Amino acid sequence: MSRIALLLRKDALVLWRSPFLLGILLAYPAAIAVLVGLVASYASSKPRVALVDEDGLPPTVEIAGKRFHVDRTIDQVSKNVKLVRLSPEAADHQLRTGKVVAVVTVPPGFIATLKGMVQSPRLEVELSRGTISSRVDQQVQALVYSLNRQLQRAYIGNNLRYVTLILHGGNGSFLGRPFNVLGLERAEKVLQGMPRSPDVEQLQGFIHDARLALANTGAALRATAHPIEYVRAPTRGRTWVLSAEVQAYALGLTITFLALMLAAGSLAAERDENVIGRLARGLVGLGHLVWAKVALAAGVALVLGVAIALAFGVIIEIGGVTGGEPWHRLPLLVVGLLLAGGALGALGALLGALAREARSASLVAVLVVLPIVFLGLIPSEVVPPAGWVSAGLPFAHAVSFFSSALYDLSPWGEVLRQGLWLVGLGLVFVGLARLAARRLLA
Amino acid sequence: MSPLTPLLAARGAGRRFGQRMALEPVEVEVWDGEALALVGPNGAGKSTLLALLAGALEPSVGGVERRKGIRVGWAPQRPAQYGRLSARENLELFARLEGEADPEQAAARLLEAFDLPGEASPSGNLSVGNRQRLNLAISLLGDPEVLLLDEPTAALDPQQRRRLWDRCAVLREAGGAVVFATQNLDEIERNAERVAALREGRLVFTGTVDEYDRSETDTLFA
Repeated sequence: MSRIALLLRKDALVLWRSPFLLGILLAYPAAIAVLVGLVASYASSKPRVALVDEDGLPPTVEIAGKRFHVDRTIDQVSKNVKLVRLSPEAADHQLRTGKVVAVVTVPPGFIATLKGMVQSPRLEVELSRGTISSRVDQQVQALVYSLNRQLQRAYIGNNLRYVTLILHGGNGSFLGRPFNVLGLERAEKVLQGMPRSPDVEQLQGFIHDARLALANTGAALRATAHPIEYVRAPTRGRTWVLSAEVQAYALGLTITFLALMLAAGSLAAERDENVIGRLARGLVGLGHLVWAKVALAAGVALVLGVAIALAFGVIIEIGGVTGGEPWHRLPLLVVGLLLAGGALGALGALLGALAREARSASLVAVLVVLPIVFLGLIPSEVVPPAGWVSAGLPFAHAVSFFSSALYDLSPWGEVLRQGLWLVGLGLVFVGLARLAARRLLA
Repeated sequence: MSPLTPLLAARGAGRRFGQRMALEPVEVEVWDGEALALVGPNGAGKSTLLALLAGALEPSVGGVERRKGIRVGWAPQRPAQYGRLSARENLELFARLEGEADPEQAAARLLEAFDLPGEASPSGNLSVGNRQRLNLAISLLGDPEVLLLDEPTAALDPQQRRRLWDRCAVLREAGGAVVFATQNLDEIERNAERVAALREGRLVFTGTVDEYDRSETDTLFA
């Protein structure tokens, strides 16, 4: 048995005999799943948006002949935000303190301008600073879009009433003034009672064409209002809880924490147990020692990663979730778990060598794991420097590998790219850990 | 074995920890059948010198020479073993790492020789004395010709001390050597032929036990 294998066997035995640590290892995936759920639910919660009514919105408004209940309309259009009515001062204060993420102000004269149908009234939106402001901006735009749609329906309905008058004739009113219209139908009947002549026939032809054209006015108006119709298909596929992303992040988070902790703690423990000198005097080289910790981290990552994937898979199968668990991709996931576990173990070994004591090493690993994970969660398009730093750490590559290995139709290119990243980072960290391991002898 | 070269020698070997020079460059030779006692107050550099001779530490300056094919056993002052493994598992693991042909048999032999418990309880639960016995037993794996012992009897009862020195005597009769650090004058008189005295990281005396007894250096340390 090689020296690395002997040390690996020893570490596995030590781990097995540490019931508290083993319990944490088993409970950790469950805790991670809950945390991911909380984060996801937070991410999908409605942001709080202040509504400042400087126009004194009445309970109901009649626009283009249609009656709108203001509060009900606000409820209907604010599906993605939580609108709260505030005074201008309170809204300003809450925006500055971050209690609301945006302030939508209805300026004086808004309803009057809207009713006039000559100018478009303005809604003023002020957003908080920060990375979610773009998302809030989109949600407020969606709110205005929903309002516009309701108003468009009213306007189109109103316009169509005039078209109907032109077609069929009858009484109408405009800006409060009543009027009577003959209408194309009645005009046609009048012409039919008249002696035939080229002029009459020309007028009859015009009326026929105009009726045909006006019959399509409704569809044309709607098409003009919405050149592209957005149609949402019925919901299909997995819920977010079982999504590919959540599974990839749960795997990545779990093995990042475990591999860093185990490798850092177990390498520093060699010094705590005073065994490092005994090993270093020719029995086991420092390089072999580092590789043994890398192998330990990779092994534990493999076992727990497969356990998590199996748990997800069983839930998905029992729930009859669309798409099912891609069992045939499990061997590819195994490769990813070994590579990611190894690369993270190498980083953990580096931390352990730098910290030198098991307690310090474990603490350092816990402190380091959160920034590593959060850096990996920040989209590089949003904060490019976070993406650059994250590219130099294994977490984001591991998550991309898992996601691609499990769910991409053609995963090979991405898996190869991320696999090479993990191997490269692992080798760099092994080299650094080997150099730093000399500190353990001091 | 060639009698022209020492079994083990420090050639201007010194060690620095950060800014502090723990051991100034020293010249020490260990010859066949010899017992060398290292003496000096706490922090004098005895443990550092033993670790350098054992190869557990790399010298910052100079080097350590070993006669070709010589095996060295080392028992550091603080026991060096895995607390979650039993005494037997520790011995079997280090026997495998030392390249023992039959690790189980070597472990069983040393368990018996040092009167160590063979059950599966972790060695971290053993008494201080038993942990030191295990520490010494591990140092004997691989049948070393040279034994480097750092205050080996501090936690041993009289019977175990006698057994240890008897074992060392057998080793020396077979042409091996023992280097041990001690604070005990009686152990020097009974078990050493030569003495090397260290103070504040410097080698301040080397000579026979008689010369050491006659010198004024002993009053400084022992």
